[in-house]
Amino acid sequence: MKIAVFLPELLRHLFKKPATVDYPFEKLEVPPDFRGTPYLDPDMCIVCKACERDCPAEAIVITDVNPAEKRFRMVIHNDRCIHCAQCVDSCPTNPKAMRMDSLHEIAADDRHKLKAEWVYVRAVLKPKAAAPAAPAAPPRAGEKAS
Amino acid sequence: MSFEIPIGPQHPALKEPISLRMTVEGEVITNADIRLGYNHRGIEKVAEEKNWTQNIYLAERICGICSHSHATCYVQGVEKLMELQPPRRGLYIRYLVSELERVHSHLLWLGVAGHEAGFDSFFMYVWRDREIVMDLLEMITGNRVHYAINAIGGVRRDLDAGQKAKVLEGVATLKKRSEYYLNLGGTEPSFVARIAGVGRLSRELAIALCATGPTARASGVARDVRKEDPYAVYDELDFEICTADTCDVLGRVVVRIKELLESYKMIEQMVRNLPAGDIACKAPRKAKPGEVVSRYEAPRGENIHYIRANGTDRPERLKVRAPTLGNYPATVEMLKKGFIADIPLIFAAIDPCICCAERAVALIDARGGETAVVRMSDLRRQAIARHLNAPVKGNAAWPL
Amino acid sequence: MAALRTILYLLVYPGVLFLFAYSTFCEWFDRKAYARLQNRMGPTHTGKFGLLQPIADFVKLLAKEDVVPAAADKGLFAVLPAIALAVVSTAGLLLPVWNFDLARPTWTSFPGDIIVILYLLSLPTLILFLAAWSSTNLFSTIGGARVLTMLFGYEVPLFLAVLSPAILADSWRLAEIAAFYQARPAYLLFNLLGFLVALVAVQAKLERTPFDIPHAETEIVGGTFTEYSGKKLALFRLAFDIELVVASGLLAAVFLGGFPGGAVVGFAHFAVKTLFIVFLLSLLRALTSRIRVDQVVSFSWKVLAPLAVLQLLAAILLKGFLP
Repeated sequence: MKIAVFLPELLRHLFKKPATVDYPFEKLEVPPDFRGTPYLDPDMCIVCKACERDCPAEAIVITDVNPAEKRFRMVIHNDRCIHCAQCVDSCPTNPKAMRMDSLHEIAADDRHKLKAEWVYVRAVLKPKAAAPAAPAAPPRAGEKAS
Repeated sequence: MSFEIPIGPQHPALKEPISLRMTVEGEVITNADIRLGYNHRGIEKVAEEKNWTQNIYLAERICGICSHSHATCYVQGVEKLMELQPPRRGLYIRYLVSELERVHSHLLWLGVAGHEAGFDSFFMYVWRDREIVMDLLEMITGNRVHYAINAIGGVRRDLDAGQKAKVLEGVATLKKRSEYYLNLGGTEPSFVARIAGVGRLSRELAIALCATGPTARASGVARDVRKEDPYAVYDELDFEICTADTCDVLGRVVVRIKELLESYKMIEQMVRNLPAGDIACKAPRKAKPGEVVSRYEAPRGENIHYIRANGTDRPERLKVRAPTLGNYPATVEMLKKGFIADIPLIFAAIDPCICCAERAVALIDARGGETAVVRMSDLRRQAIARHLNAPVKGNAAWPL
Repeated sequence: MAALRTILYLLVYPGVLFLFAYSTFCEWFDRKAYARLQNRMGPTHTGKFGLLQPIADFVKLLAKEDVVPAAADKGLFAVLPAIALAVVSTAGLLLPVWNFDLARPTWTSFPGDIIVILYLLSLPTLILFLAAWSSTNLFSTIGGARVLTMLFGYEVPLFLAVLSPAILADSWRLAEIAAFYQARPAYLLFNLLGFLVALVAVQAKLERTPFDIPHAETEIVGGTFTEYSGKKLALFRLAFDIELVVASGLLAAVFLGGFPGGAVVGFAHFAVKTLFIVFLLSLLRALTSRIRVDQVVSFSWKVLAPLAVLQLLAAILLKGFLP
């Protein structure tokens, strides 16, 4: 019978750097395709509501603001969002109007603060429209784009 | 002097609510009883309200550890219903994630087993190495826990050459570590003293009580859906069913570590022979009326989803049988004649996922056999009435 | 003046204040070593290198709500933590660090103090049992029964192992035993076996893995401490920390040649040697998994006790052959 089988492994690590990361003081990198928080590029959205229909958590709500102007409001309830990115997959435009960023420290003390809202005019895309030059920067929660 | 000790529904050894009532004499268990139903989730009911796509993510959330198992089991069934043939590349990636998930789940279990036995160093080292596979999964799918890689008709993300190299590299490291743990878990005397001969389940009992997964395989029952009813890519892979004939917790540890080694083998095969082509085909939004049973070998055992479609874009019924449910009767049998100190180990050895197994509670009239529905308002009224009529609390009865 | 000296002796050094500071440091050292052996960080952010973490834990527990079960024996339940703390602190006074004057036996260093210190170290075990029994909780009761069962296992090997160097040194006074081995360091090698036995037995006495059976959280929740909370739990934890210091001090005095060189150098010896023993205990904790209570008893009587008897025999034989 062997005794102290684990000993060499334990002693080997005694003076090594710990494997744990001192997390809130030392940030971790997320991989490039990380599914963070969804956001909308209002210039591309044709209001087909595919994202609203397929969202498993019912986190996306699109409402009419002014039917005459074809103005809509999209609210993403990040408190309900399960970060599955199905909205991105369902989005039919090219490039996508729905996108994911890599934000993951999005906790807030109130779930209402987690709402992101956009009010915008429906985009009219020609078939195979050229992409806009630069993708928009991820808007912050509550920011309104017109 | 015999008395009853309650393990659960809240107990440090259990991470989820279940109640084990042990009749003990000194340190020896003479009888065991198991009570379920502390966790009503209503997932099957919600599934009837959601469309086929949304339900992938719902099924994924049945379990936090074998999330991909439930999602894959569901997607397999839906694809059969819709008569879809997903492209080979998509299937390879899907089952690559499956095997990576099995690796993460078994490593997690191995650490938990160490912790339940009070072997915290083992726990820490295993979980440190588990981070490798978690990082691989995060890299491939974009999340550490809910991979959301499945789509009806294939997968959602492709694998590039850099990722393939990283997977192979990670698996090579893990292989070395797992071999080390197999050696360590089988030779460290204090650990072996705790797990050898504990929680015996004979081969006959394992069959009679319908044990599944590693619990059955550790009793010498070579059952594995991947081999018996090979789905998708498993008939193209070279692997073996791992069994042990010690019929105890040590056997379950050994079986799981050996399965890890088989999984590494499969992952390497899948990454090396990844076919070219599309990763998914287009899925219709509606399924023809029909019903299907989908089987899947989850890390904990056989996972079964029954799906019935009625021609709309949502299922009429989704029934989930999680592997833990199949292992409950065996657990009760294993606990008998054990020591109090063995309870957490024996119970942990089936790798219980109570929330996977808990479903709706049906209220059936004992005399009439009628099913009743209780509204929230009724429940509340009954709770208040019970509170008001409750007897004044006396001192807790001390058994001795 | 003598009264003032006594009060300082009891309250400051080596009494309550010093023992509090040093035992919390030992707990920090134990936690840090245990963490580093497991490739973790351990306490990091409270004070420099997390040095203040055990004190912060202590203060936090003092501030917590103190719940006493309705069915408990309230008097006994409340007074036991204080008694445990008093007993182990008293044992701390007997270590030959602060009373190194060989020629003049005092009230903390006298022939037979090794017996007293062993006795005082046994008391916390009984107190734990009483604490478990008085809290009337089911898990506590099982924990209490396990405490006593284990006591019958490790106590005899511990006594045999610790007393055999004393037999070789021909004295029941710690300071004299230490002085004997300081004069003949080579004799320490004869006691190596006893040292190992005592180390394992002390681990069991301190209820640390693999012997943390009476409060194995995955089995019986908090075991003996299930019903203890707030100040009382804080005192119990402190008592265990001080017991760790005293037990390692005792082992250092008996097996590692004591603490020669007066107040300052002697204290340096004390710090180095106790920390070495604490490290060995941490290593043992990291190395093993918890065993069952029946395995403890059979291990103690089948392995530890024969080894301790062997050590005792060796000591007696050596004493006959050596001048």
